[in-house]
Amino acid sequence: MTPELAAILRKDRRSLRNLWRVLSRESLFKVSFVLLFATAMLSGLFLLFLDGFRFLAEFGGAGFMITRRLFSLFFLGLGGMLVISGVVTSYSTLFRSREVPLMLTGPFDEGSIVLYKFAETAVLSSWAFIFIIVPFTAAYALQHGLGLVFGVWMLAFTAPFLVLCAALGTLITLLVVRWVPRGRTVGVLLLLAVGAFAYHTIMRVGSQSAFESPVFMLSRVVPGLRLASMPAMPSWWTAEGVDAFAQGRPVRGLLFLGTLTANALMAALLVRQLGAAMFFEAYQRVHGARAAGARRGRLLPATARVCGFLPRDVRAIMTKDIRTFFRDPMQWSQALIFFGLLALYFASIRSFRYDQLPREWRNMIAFLNVFSVAAVQCSLASRFIYPQLSLEGQAFWMLGLSPITTRRILAGKFWLAAAGMLSVSLLLIVFSTRMLAVEAQVRGVALAVMTAVSFAVAGLSTGLGAVFLDLKTSNPAAIVSGFGGTVNLVLSLIFMLAAILPFGMIFHLSFLQRIPAGAVPRALVAAFLWLALITPLTTVVPMILGRKAMNGRDY
Amino acid sequence: MIVIDRLCKRFGALKAVDALDLEVREGELFCFLGPNGAGKTTTIKMLTGLMRPDSGRIVLNGIDIRHDPVAAKRIIGYIPDMPYLYDRLTPREYVEFVGDLYRVPGAAVTDAIERELDRFGLSDYRDALIGDLSHGLRQRLIYVATFLHDPAIMFVDEPLVGLDPYSIRMIKDLLRARTRAGMTIFLTTHILAVAEEIADRIGIIHRGRLVALGTLDELRTESGRAGSLEDLFLHLTAGAESPVSAS
Repeated sequence: MTPELAAILRKDRRSLRNLWRVLSRESLFKVSFVLLFATAMLSGLFLLFLDGFRFLAEFGGAGFMITRRLFSLFFLGLGGMLVISGVVTSYSTLFRSREVPLMLTGPFDEGSIVLYKFAETAVLSSWAFIFIIVPFTAAYALQHGLGLVFGVWMLAFTAPFLVLCAALGTLITLLVVRWVPRGRTVGVLLLLAVGAFAYHTIMRVGSQSAFESPVFMLSRVVPGLRLASMPAMPSWWTAEGVDAFAQGRPVRGLLFLGTLTANALMAALLVRQLGAAMFFEAYQRVHGARAAGARRGRLLPATARVCGFLPRDVRAIMTKDIRTFFRDPMQWSQALIFFGLLALYFASIRSFRYDQLPREWRNMIAFLNVFSVAAVQCSLASRFIYPQLSLEGQAFWMLGLSPITTRRILAGKFWLAAAGMLSVSLLLIVFSTRMLAVEAQVRGVALAVMTAVSFAVAGLSTGLGAVFLDLKTSNPAAIVSGFGGTVNLVLSLIFMLAAILPFGMIFHLSFLQRIPAGAVPRALVAAFLWLALITPLTTVVPMILGRKAMNGRDY
Repeated sequence: MIVIDRLCKRFGALKAVDALDLEVREGELFCFLGPNGAGKTTTIKMLTGLMRPDSGRIVLNGIDIRHDPVAAKRIIGYIPDMPYLYDRLTPREYVEFVGDLYRVPGAAVTDAIERELDRFGLSDYRDALIGDLSHGLRQRLIYVATFLHDPAIMFVDEPLVGLDPYSIRMIKDLLRARTRAGMTIFLTTHILAVAEEIADRIGIIHRGRLVALGTLDELRTESGRAGSLEDLFLHLTAGAESPVSAS
């Protein structure tokens, strides 16, 4: 390690130590709330996974086979999310961080800068996944009577796996930024998505007649199982290695650990070498484009016309926000990736033959899909809508001095957020329910729930964004991860559960015949009344609180 | 010594820096002036290695920055107009970090922490978090840290932004003292009175081209105007299109 890298790591250690000073200034209530939320989330996920394992155990042979393959599937899914997270995070750490110019003018070679930023990417992109890995591992260990040592093996395999995924994400970012023509990123991403979907479809069709193995049969009901069971996949090495250790076969386990570690180190080396060769050029492309002032005036030329029916001042704010959204790749790329992945999954529903499952199963999947879209919506709203007002930052004086009331500012932001979320989520739900071929009643319920979630989450994020307004912080991640951001995310998730669960439970209990068929319509009416009560409350109350907070503060 | 040879940088159709030829001598305080968008920041970014020129050469004390960027960066210091500081370090820790980075001997770092933090009025804040410091105090800290490794060449972009009169005076004295000790300083500013007061030589860039170069008296003689630097600047950047030769 070079002395420069050692110096910057020493700086990080001190910075981390000083974090305690920052935390100790926070109110006890804030810290307790965040800790309580983290504990509740870990416990909730643990119980959910445990319930899932017990459910699978009830299936006997098929359940055993699925459980056996579950680690492959788990690491495949985790790996996919980690690579995406790595792409987004590495763009931010390599090309948007204000530390990079400092390093570029300091005595660092480009390889060292990329290596350091890659390490930062690996940590930032994967720490949150602890909230999935820990409860999953604990539930699996409890269900199968495995001891603490299983957790140690899991940790030993998880570390190189995380490094490998972060390296893949960083490499993709470097290659895209360096080689994809500017302004074509969306086209290339769409092309890649279409290509991946076509490949996936061809592979499925091509192999349908050839395979009769249990994995193939199970892959009919468990998507991704076949891919997860491919011996070339790092997720398979991880799963097999963990399984080998759990079954008392340490030599086999070490073989997989060695394979995984060697590949992770190789990937890190590739990041360093390729980074040394292309980082500076890539950096020039990102910042050269910005300096050129070559912003396209043609971006959304019709925006103002489309919003023509709105008052001019509200329209001005909305147009500005739309332009800001589309000119910030961090925002639209994350929305595109997450909603795109959901769309890809919904498009695959018929290739998994979910549409031929019994009616009750299709209903359950329909509600799980509503859950998925709503969860993505909550997280994107917390990430992008909540900090919107705070990010006005230094420019807030312009809004503050302009002859527009706080109420109209908030209303403009709310309607824009609600319209954006409604259009995407309703489209996805229509798509999902059509692919599942569910009844009109279920589709109607799903659309109603999605509409309620869109309005409530938009109201919560806009209103709480105003209540916890922070004009001093320019880093959106810092705003989002603060107390207000955490409260917003927690409340959004609670609303999502409160909105979806009653309907989901009615259909589920009716399937289990715990509710007589005649009582279902009455139960649905009660659930709709509940939804009609909580949605306006969750939408309007934060907006009123936000308006009061903004009117009452000094600028 | 800074040697800039036929330096060019384009952004699409815009020529940000157009065939810039310039030499800044050792121990000289050189002020680089120009209207907004003239190419000052682009030039300084290329000189500090933040931006790659399309063509041309930059040599810093005999080191070509393109061929050996790390060696070149070891001998320079750069104070940007909006410097980045680590909010979760204290001023003392930040100076120690910079000392580690440039391999400054530990005793010299300890000495600088005592002496320079005191000189810049930061002694009382040495163990406070940088995130809690005001803009002016942060600006002072960046001077302490950047001068720590005693760079042969210093680039300063808008040195006086957000500083109080006391600090401005201190910075001006510091820059003058350092040039007397042999440091080469390349400074950009919009405060023409400062350039007039402290610069050994002045260069004016307009639309990417160097339109004036010399001491204040030489500029007056060359332009045939006897007014202040402000008059000269407004005259030269209003209509001048043809470059002058570097002296």
